Amino acid sequence: MKTAAAAIADNPWLAQRARIARVTPEVPGVATYHLRLVDAQRHAQYAFQPGQFNMLYLPGVGEVAISLSAGAEQQGTWDHTIRAAGSVTRALAQLPVGAELGLRGPYGAGWPLTECAGRDVIVVAGGLGLAPLRPAIHALLAEPKRWGRIHLLLGARTADSLLYPGERSAWERSGLAAQTTVDRATPDWTGNVGVVPLLVDRLAGFDPARAIMFICGPEVMMRYTIRSALKRGIAAERIWLSLERNMQCAVGLCGHCQFGPAFICQDGPVLRSDRIAPFLDVEGL
Amino acid sequence: MDRTDLLQELAALRFTASLPAAALERLAAVATVARYAAGARIFREGSTNDRLMIIRRGRVALDMCVPGRGEVRILSLAAGDLLAWSALLGAGRMTATATALEETEVLAIPAAEIATACRDPDFGYAWMQRLAAALAERLLATRLQLLDLFADAEPVARD
Amino acid sequence: MPPADSAASSRLPPQLLAKEDLQALLDALRRAGYRVVGPRLSQGAIVIDELTDIAELPRGWTDEQVAGQYRLQRRPDEAYFGYNVGPHSWKQFLFPPQATVAAAERTAEGWELRTVDDQQPPYAFLGARACDLAAIAVQDRTFIHAQYADPIYRRRRAEAFIVAVDCGQAASTCFCASMNTGPACRQGFDLLLTELAGAFLFEVGTPRGAALAAGLPLRPADEAALAEAAAVRQQAVAQVSKQLDTTDIRQVLLGSLEHPRWSQVAERCLSCTNCTMVCPTCFCSSVREVGDLSGEHVERQREWDSCFNVDFSYLSGGIVRNQIRARYRQWLTHKLASWIDQFDVSGCVGCGRCITWCPVGIDLTEEVAAIREEPA
Repeated sequence: MKTAAAAIADNPWLAQRARIARVTPEVPGVATYHLRLVDAQRHAQYAFQPGQFNMLYLPGVGEVAISLSAGAEQQGTWDHTIRAAGSVTRALAQLPVGAELGLRGPYGAGWPLTECAGRDVIVVAGGLGLAPLRPAIHALLAEPKRWGRIHLLLGARTADSLLYPGERSAWERSGLAAQTTVDRATPDWTGNVGVVPLLVDRLAGFDPARAIMFICGPEVMMRYTIRSALKRGIAAERIWLSLERNMQCAVGLCGHCQFGPAFICQDGPVLRSDRIAPFLDVEGL
Repeated sequence: MDRTDLLQELAALRFTASLPAAALERLAAVATVARYAAGARIFREGSTNDRLMIIRRGRVALDMCVPGRGEVRILSLAAGDLLAWSALLGAGRMTATATALEETEVLAIPAAEIATACRDPDFGYAWMQRLAAALAERLLATRLQLLDLFADAEPVARD
Repeated sequence: MPPADSAASSRLPPQLLAKEDLQALLDALRRAGYRVVGPRLSQGAIVIDELTDIAELPRGWTDEQVAGQYRLQRRPDEAYFGYNVGPHSWKQFLFPPQATVAAAERTAEGWELRTVDDQQPPYAFLGARACDLAAIAVQDRTFIHAQYADPIYRRRRAEAFIVAVDCGQAASTCFCASMNTGPACRQGFDLLLTELAGAFLFEVGTPRGAALAAGLPLRPADEAALAEAAAVRQQAVAQVSKQLDTTDIRQVLLGSLEHPRWSQVAERCLSCTNCTMVCPTCFCSSVREVGDLSGEHVERQREWDSCFNVDFSYLSGGIVRNQIRARYRQWLTHKLASWIDQFDVSGCVGCGRCITWCPVGIDLTEEVAAIREEPA
């Protein structure tokens, strides 16, 4: 009799049954799906690295790659924060609590938390890009003595699309220094207006020589955030970003997410900027 | 605030930090500190203003007036950012309304003094180089904002 | 894992198999449980399909290939293997163009999710060329790697019995010598044939090959036969005329991503995907949901896909490679450059299929030469 793990390694197409335990509406169009693996033992044994993703499967509709946005240590479920945008995510948005779906993963390379030891950590997120960074923030705040200062720079289109407002306040109480900015200000907004790289340009309270940066957001935002970070003296080999490509098989077999020298599903989604930046500037790669 | 403090302050602010010592001295000689309470107007779009400002503390919003939409917030600025460059480059007519978002302090420098100082090629080159870099940074940020990169993130009713 | 190749030094001495005894080899393979596939004539080309009788081989035929053209012609002799590689490759048997990888059945609680086992009986490949063996070795690295393996490929590859044939000729599109993959077969076969005027030189590459050979009517090869075989192989070497300069090719191509040549080739390229379909190493695929009308039973069907398909790079934000220029560049730079980063080997084996089967005759060796000639 093979163990479950061995069966999965034998056949990467094998999905686990998962059930929607709860749905938390986040910002407009975005919700967090709290998933529980139907097999209680597998639910308990499941583990992932912050930044890794799962393939969520709706039979008859298809699969979609979604980063984990929280682990079971938070609310007892494996959480995925999803924007209803494509066919699978829109179908998912129609499912009631208790509905089943398939899950395979976790896949890919996550955020290099061990590299953060003793360093100031600057987490930069744009829009839904905060979701794959959230488990990294959880991990950082769980052991604050291991790192230097922790900054979060978060941008979104409007104030009401800044993710996880309540939780961010809790993070700030735990010692994270958060700054937010929006592209489009509504009259009631008194916070920052302007793009995320400006927050990097102005950031105080970190030592560039020992800072490490994690970035996730739209590709153009990441490109110019890297530029600002380099100007501030953060070394390219300590800037990490999470890239999105069309991940289909998630195990480096189907070729869809190929990007320069990398398969994003396998070598990424989290990649070191100096290894990938030359390819980010090439249109249509 | 005395001149030595001003000099130290200028040497620490992002916009002026890399200027040569002599240039910093010249600026410190003519700079004054201005304070604004939260919500105070620093200048209004269309008004004239003869002082260039560098924010030393606080945050400032830039708004433009659009008929039918009222004041539209374009950008917010913070410590180290340059403010009111139209005093130097635009004959003093302001192109946005600046409002202190919180208690804010700026170092104000008469534009005429800078214009005079710029006749010295060493100062002029160093100053204009910083100014051009700041403008380029602002232009890039404006372009990125124009791209509306999070537009995809808005809920849209497709099909 | 695929069978380990035995070193050339441990091979049994070459023997001879009479031409008419090729049927005995075919029969022995079939008796051993293999479904034998090999070259056959079909629709004006030499393709690869099931063989039950050696009379089905394209005996006495050859092909003439140039960029964008393929023509069958009669040979002056009755050679069984007197032609070059055709539009098919062995890829279609190890990595089937369509396969069901998983299935879901609706249950009272939700879904039963399962994988679908491959039922294909083991294949024997009769007539694989040196470039084909190299292509299989390249795909081994893609489909069987440390962390994950494609279950269909892994099983079929482990089971496949390979009878290779050394080339005695080359097409104008062949450039295996440049890719260091041929024309002579060096490894990766169970048995190797070299077609002589009156017999096949018969060599054993693996213990499995030796076991199968044990039941065949073989006789020792004499000096004259060895000399004739060497001459046959030398003839192929002499006929390989096309060249691809691979010096620093990774840096040359990845350093030329904005070269004007990409736009020029895009004016010719139809983005038809032919090159990727005939390429023996291209491995891209997509999975389709195929459900019955009730929606109760769903199969996940994997199909070959191509980086030349416009929606291949689809992202929630749109299509990444919307221009043919970007797609051709993706294909060529992946094949010849970033493949090396990913798999430590070039993705090109020099078989020339993409040149022959390009409807507008785009020749990748010319494209690389043009980029090399005028650095961007």
